[in-house]
Parts: sequence; C-alpha cells; structure tokens
Amino acid sequence: MPHIVYKENRIELNEGQTVLSALLEHSHEIPNSCRAGVCQSCLMQASDGTVPEHAQDGLKDTLKSQGYFLACICKPAEPLHIIDSKNIHQRYTARVINHEFINDDILRLRLKTEQTFDYHAGQFINLWMNKKVMRSYSLASVDKLDDFLELHIRRVPDGLVSNWLCDEISSVDSLQIQTATGDCFYVPGSPSQKLLLAGTGTGLAPLIGIARDALSQGHQGEIHLIHGARHKDDLYMHQTLGNLAKKYKQFYYHTNVLIPDNGAQTGSPVPLDLQLQKVAGDDIAESKFYLCGDADIVKKLKTKMFLAGASMKNIYSDPFIIAAHGVNT
Amino acid sequence: MSSLYERIGGQAAVDKAVEIFYRKVLSDDRINRFFDGVDMDQQINKQKGFLTMVFGGPNEYTGKDMREGHKHLVANGLNDSHVDAVIENLGNTLSELGVATEDIQEVADIANSVRDDVLNR
Repeated sequence: MPHIVYKENRIELNEGQTVLSALLEHSHEIPNSCRAGVCQSCLMQASDGTVPEHAQDGLKDTLKSQGYFLACICKPAEPLHIIDSKNIHQRYTARVINHEFINDDILRLRLKTEQTFDYHAGQFINLWMNKKVMRSYSLASVDKLDDFLELHIRRVPDGLVSNWLCDEISSVDSLQIQTATGDCFYVPGSPSQKLLLAGTGTGLAPLIGIARDALSQGHQGEIHLIHGARHKDDLYMHQTLGNLAKKYKQFYYHTNVLIPDNGAQTGSPVPLDLQLQKVAGDDIAESKFYLCGDADIVKKLKTKMFLAGASMKNIYSDPFIIAAHGVNT
Repeated sequence: MSSLYERIGGQAAVDKAVEIFYRKVLSDDRINRFFDGVDMDQQINKQKGFLTMVFGGPNEYTGKDMREGHKHLVANGLNDSHVDAVIENLGNTLSELGVATEDIQEVADIANSVRDDVLNR
C-alpha cells in the first residue's frame, strides 16, 4: 500500500483510503466539509510524488500545475509528500540591483536573490519592511527570460511601505522577500486559445510578465493586453508594449484612458469592461482572462465577463488591495 | 431503474449546469443582491455542492449546514419568494440542458425539502 508523508510523519494508507481520511485518523486537523471533491476546503499541495488526476477535478490549471489537489478524493497509487496549501513561508534575501522611476509615481525595482527563486510570471511576492510590516507586490519579470525579479511600485499617498521603497531604499540595499504565490499565471497546453489581459495602474506589472511568458512559450492564439489608466501620462511602458506588438503579430496592445486630454475631448470613453468584451468577441466562452489591479475594478470585470459568457475556470485575477492605515504597524 | 442523479448525467451535468445556473441567479434582480460581495470562485463551488445535492447526488450537507449558511441572509430579508426564484432559475437551467420535465420536478422537490432549513424556521 502507498504511504503519505505529512509534517515529517509517515502514514500508511489502507486499501482505497483517501488522504483526508488517513490524516484525520492520525489526528491531523485538516479543514474539510463535503468530502465529495466539491467544496475544495481540503485543498492541499504535493511537494513530491504523483497526484492522481481525479484528485484535481475542478481545480484551475494553475493550481493543478503546482501540485494542488483535494485530499477528500485523493487515493494515491504512489507515495506522496504533502504540505498544507498555505505552508509556503520561506524567506529570501534579495539585493536591489536597480531603483528607477518609470514615471512620476511608479518605481521600478529590480532584485536579485542569492538562492534560486522559483516563480511563475504573474505571481506576487511578499516584501518585508521590517519584522512586522509586509506588503504584496506582483512580479513583472519572467523567470525564464530575466535574471532579476522586477516589481512596479506605485507611490501610495501616505503609504508606509511604498514611500519607504521610493525614498529610502537605494541600489545597494538588501530586502527580505517571501516565496512567490498566486494562481494568476500562464499555463501552456492550449497554444491557440485567445488570451485577454486587462488591468489598471500597476496591474500592468503581472500582465506584462504573463504576456511575455506566453509569447516565449510559443503561444500562437491572439493575446490582447488592455491597460486602463486615469490619464494618458499614467500609461507606462507604452513604448515597450508597442514594440512587443510590432515584434509578435499575435500580440495586441490596447489602452483605455478614463479622462481624455484637454482639447482632445472625444466624448465619454468606452468603459474598460465593454472594451474587453468587444475584444473577446464571439470567442468569449473559450477565452482565458487575466484581470489585475484595483480590487473593485477587477471584481467588476470578473462579474461582467462571467455574465457575458466567460467560464469561471478561465478567469484568473490578481486584485490589489491597498493596506488600510494602521494595519501592520 | 436508474437514479435521478444518473438520469440527469451525474458530475458532468453538475459541471455543465453550474455556470448557466449561476449566471441566471446573478442576472436575476429579485435575488442577486444576496450575492453582493461574495467570492465568485468560492460561490461556484458552493453552487456545485447545491446542484449535486438537488440532483440527488452524493453529498454531506446537513440541515445544520443549511441553517448556518443562510442565517445572515435570512436576517437580511431572505424569504419564500427568493427560494421560489432560485428554484425557478434551477428549472430553467435544466430545461435548457434538455432534462425531462418529470426529473426537473423531482429536483424541485428535493430543493423544496430544504426550504425550511434554508429559511431557518
């Protein structure tokens, strides 16, 4: 009979026994509810071994590719090493190698770690200011293309960490970061699928990473990236994206500016959700969406795209939540 | 004689029905306010659990779960008319998928059997 390893305990499975039942039998407290592979409350992750395909039914591709599975329907045929899905707190020391403002309020920070740092373009990392204060920032770099980690940091008015990073950090300092997480990234396997990437502000960071990652992995279907901004000046990396569109015929770069320039008033602009829906066109049910940036906008886009016919399993999102004043201080 | 769950099409039918059903619910102004602020990914999983149950499939839902899960909604005015709307959306979803009228009635009967638990009375 196969066995499992969890928290350094080796547990032998009985014939036909599920991972959940074995863990509970050995007094491990594992959240669970339906025990039918439906509610996903017993989501766990394999760090080693082969997860049976059935144990990943209904999970998003990005979770599957990271070895996530549902313990209540998992009957492994081979030994399996298991970790809690949130038990990924390893810290890394990262050296700042570039500290440059892309525009008035967005800082580009490039970091290098001594140890190998695994991630998928589009995931986010936690960055620690000190022992207590931490913020999450999405990665704009691509693991296979760049030999640094890139973050785009918007200076939040009165923001504790963003102002510290903007003003007090220079290109000699070291920072503490934590393992990359998040399920908003490209998974190969459907090279002709239409990809729709939309985001506001520094939501562009993960989207650039996802687009470059998909292109470098040979994605052939259309990739549309829509960057939403308040003013024209807030559209950063405009040139880079324009060049990317010239280089790859399947890549399209669109912008959505909320407030047109004075004198060039062209009536009210098309809302981001309608623009996205139009670009998706008749392929909406089969297209994959990546939605990043302001949490309220991401949520609205998600709902609108679902109601317009997108499938929930094809909608990936990375909502940015601005830390409340006084939190973590 | 096959079971209701088998006749409808089992897990595959749940997967097919869940998005159609959830879209109908979110577009229905009689009930969509109860879904404001919920996480859509989590909600889809809950809807799958619900559909599995009313299709007569394997589930571990108890009256207590139903009561706990809807308590805050009852406090916000959830009543019989809203349960009726949900069952109506459920019926429309199933007829779109070509499920037989008698089977739809059976599904509605199961849904009705948890009405008192859902409404906490």
